[in-house]
Amino acid sequence: MGSDVERLVMGRYVVRRLGQLVVVVLGATMVLFACLFVLPGDPVGQIAGSDKARDPAVIEQLHKQYGLDKPLVVQYGSYVGKLAKGDLGQDYTQGRPVTEILAPKLLNTAKLAVVAIVFDVIIGIAAGVIAAMRRYSVWDITVTFSTTLAIGVPSIVLGMIMQWVFVIKLGWFPLISDGTFNSLILPAFTLAIIDAALVAQIARSTMLEVMGADYVKTAVAKGLSRPVVLLRHILRNSVIPVITYVGISFGALLGGAIITETIFNWDGIGLALVTAIQQNNNPIIVGVVTISVAVFVVLNLIVDLLYAALDPRIRLA
Amino acid sequence: MRGAKSAKWVAAAAIIALAATACGGGDDDASKDKGNGGSGKAGGTFRLGITEPVSIDPYNAQESEGILVTDNLFSGLYEPTADGQVVPVLAESKQVSADGKTWTFKIKAGTKFSNGEAVDAESFVRGWNRVAQKKAASDVAYHMAGIAGFEDVQSGKTDKMSGLSAPDATTLQVKLSAPDFEFDTKTTHTVFSPVPKVAGDAKNAAYNAAPIGNGPFKMDGKWEHNKKITLVRNDDYGLKKAKLDKVEISILNAANSANLEYQGFQSGQFDWARMPTPQLKPAKAKYEPQGEWLELDTNGMNYLLPITDNGPLKSAKAREAVSYAIDRDAIIAGVFQGMQTKSTTILPPVFKDVYTKDLCTSCVKQDKAKAKALAKEAGLKPGTTIDIGYNTGAGHEEWVQAVAQQLEDVLGVKVKASGKPFAELLADQQKPGATGAYRFAWGADYPTPDNFLFPLLSTSSINKDDSGKVTGDNRGRYSNKKFDDLLSKARATKDLPARNELYKQAEKVAMDDVALIPLWNRTQLRLVNTKKFADVKMDFHEDPNLAELSLK
Repeated sequence: MGSDVERLVMGRYVVRRLGQLVVVVLGATMVLFACLFVLPGDPVGQIAGSDKARDPAVIEQLHKQYGLDKPLVVQYGSYVGKLAKGDLGQDYTQGRPVTEILAPKLLNTAKLAVVAIVFDVIIGIAAGVIAAMRRYSVWDITVTFSTTLAIGVPSIVLGMIMQWVFVIKLGWFPLISDGTFNSLILPAFTLAIIDAALVAQIARSTMLEVMGADYVKTAVAKGLSRPVVLLRHILRNSVIPVITYVGISFGALLGGAIITETIFNWDGIGLALVTAIQQNNNPIIVGVVTISVAVFVVLNLIVDLLYAALDPRIRLA
Repeated sequence: MRGAKSAKWVAAAAIIALAATACGGGDDDASKDKGNGGSGKAGGTFRLGITEPVSIDPYNAQESEGILVTDNLFSGLYEPTADGQVVPVLAESKQVSADGKTWTFKIKAGTKFSNGEAVDAESFVRGWNRVAQKKAASDVAYHMAGIAGFEDVQSGKTDKMSGLSAPDATTLQVKLSAPDFEFDTKTTHTVFSPVPKVAGDAKNAAYNAAPIGNGPFKMDGKWEHNKKITLVRNDDYGLKKAKLDKVEISILNAANSANLEYQGFQSGQFDWARMPTPQLKPAKAKYEPQGEWLELDTNGMNYLLPITDNGPLKSAKAREAVSYAIDRDAIIAGVFQGMQTKSTTILPPVFKDVYTKDLCTSCVKQDKAKAKALAKEAGLKPGTTIDIGYNTGAGHEEWVQAVAQQLEDVLGVKVKASGKPFAELLADQQKPGATGAYRFAWGADYPTPDNFLFPLLSTSSINKDDSGKVTGDNRGRYSNKKFDDLLSKARATKDLPARNELYKQAEKVAMDDVALIPLWNRTQLRLVNTKKFADVKMDFHEDPNLAELSLK
């Protein structure tokens, strides 16, 4: 009975959040459109990557083809109209559909982010547990020191050093991704490492907090073995903040992979965005941002739902 | 010392290129079947990285990367050599009418596209019309602008150029709307490739991604965007067959490509690579002794582009003062680590029939006294502001700052150097009232001095629209009747040496006016795996000569 009411509340909540998604996406595209189209310079006025201006006849034809000869409001209107049908238009350099260009890139970025999250959680929690269990030992100091270092070192430095050592010197991994899991390891590790350091620190502090709680003392006093206390009582309770953090950071990973993707030539949406900005390839820019906004909002919704599921004290309203 | 060394390199490369051309022309028949002309063995896979091309279909292939692929998938009438010559490929003979308006090409009979279709005159007509059509919106269609009926096809009135005809299978007749004795040279561009019937219209996604051509290589699978392009030898090629089995082209991201290429070469994953600028010195020290370092001044130039109809550089003397005030040697040593060669001409040294070293007297050596005297004569007073525009993110910041500093020190002027994104810089150059100078680079589409002089300096290439915006490539707005007349005369001259003489005279007129301020040549540096491959050279498009190189 109670669960029916809960389901209803939850259903309404999800619908409302998805409604917000539409508003957020519309807002984002509107702001972007305004920004991109007040920029000086004709987006199709120049041959990509050269000093040469395009032929006026070609410019005219491209303006017509991309609807750039119409007022901005009309352009935006038709963009939103197409967006509703899942069409993100055509890009300016190759004239291919933006969805066709971005779909494989989005998949690549997602792959990278998922593997990064796995590394992130494994490394972070393991380091956090070790540090907390052996508080003030050499282990703890090592973890604290290396996590602080990892947070401080920019991923471009870490990525390039790893590339030099493991690809050029040792030859363990391919330089150019060949689609195998092997080529995913270095970029995923680079992407994961900063977050893993944060996860380790969060895990360490929450574990220390939980370890001091009465029910843990009771469990120990009952004579339970160390592994059982650790897994069943300490870890389970201290993992909730970690999961929340990881969930939120997954969204950030999707968007924040630009540097990693550039170093490792990982053909994801971060890289697409950088290239598009250099080329004034507006349809790709708007497309990437629209997709990122949508993914971010959906992920946040999932995290909120998960959070409520993990901790019954939290109510969705 | 460095200068002498590079000059030697260029000379050596030129001799090698000459030798290669001589071979290519001579033993076509002998090597027809085995595809094995020289000492090199057949087989092997050549691997390199490029950035994502705009197109690999001849209708819109435009930059070095796209042309690398297209040029190996298609063979046209003529092709350019690295040292600026034009050699026949499918053309057996050419004939031009006395008025320079009708060209007749005889095409080699019996060659085929890789789908078995015959390469005849009609396939050229088909290919060229396909490019010119309005809906193609091709960036390279303008190369055909001289063909009669081009305008009507561009404007969408019809889809066939009236100037093109194929009287029989091996005869291609081209009527031009104005005399052009260099039309054969223009056909070296990949846009003039023949295409088979399956090519259809220009916007044909299936063909755009896997063009079927008549070149020494063919596609293996289709273009995997941002990932790779694989070429395999075309064993049915009707001319001299390639020796390589396969070419694996990885597509790298532009933001990090030079670095990835260099790392790929070091780790043995690429056979040809560019290098990031900071790595040039160590790379040269390591690879030059091993014979894996390739250095060539190619068909391109770097200039400071002065706005000649407005602002502080309106007078030729002021421009000469600026040129004298720049210490090119210091910048090359300091900023480019000695890896560039100073230029003293408007035309690049690869055009060796017209090249006149030190034509730009103000480029040879910095001369502060002359610079000051000329500035005074020109009324370029200390304190005057000179704007210099450049595009950001392409490694120009450092040398532009050095030039600005030198101008301020020597002339006492104030230099306002402003970096902008490319599109913005272009709009800036084009707008009415532009002033000062801009960073500028140019490369020729086909090996003729005309391809520098006409677009960059002729009055008709200013081409202002109603708002006063410059839509042509002459963004310095240089206009001199004497220059225009010499250029028209050159264009109307059938005899090549006489024509080149006129081009030289025209270049001198523009140089005397300091219409462009030459800075340095386009020096291209590559690493090449010479342990595994023989006869590897850089071609006219700065790409490896895939159809000629071989396993060692």
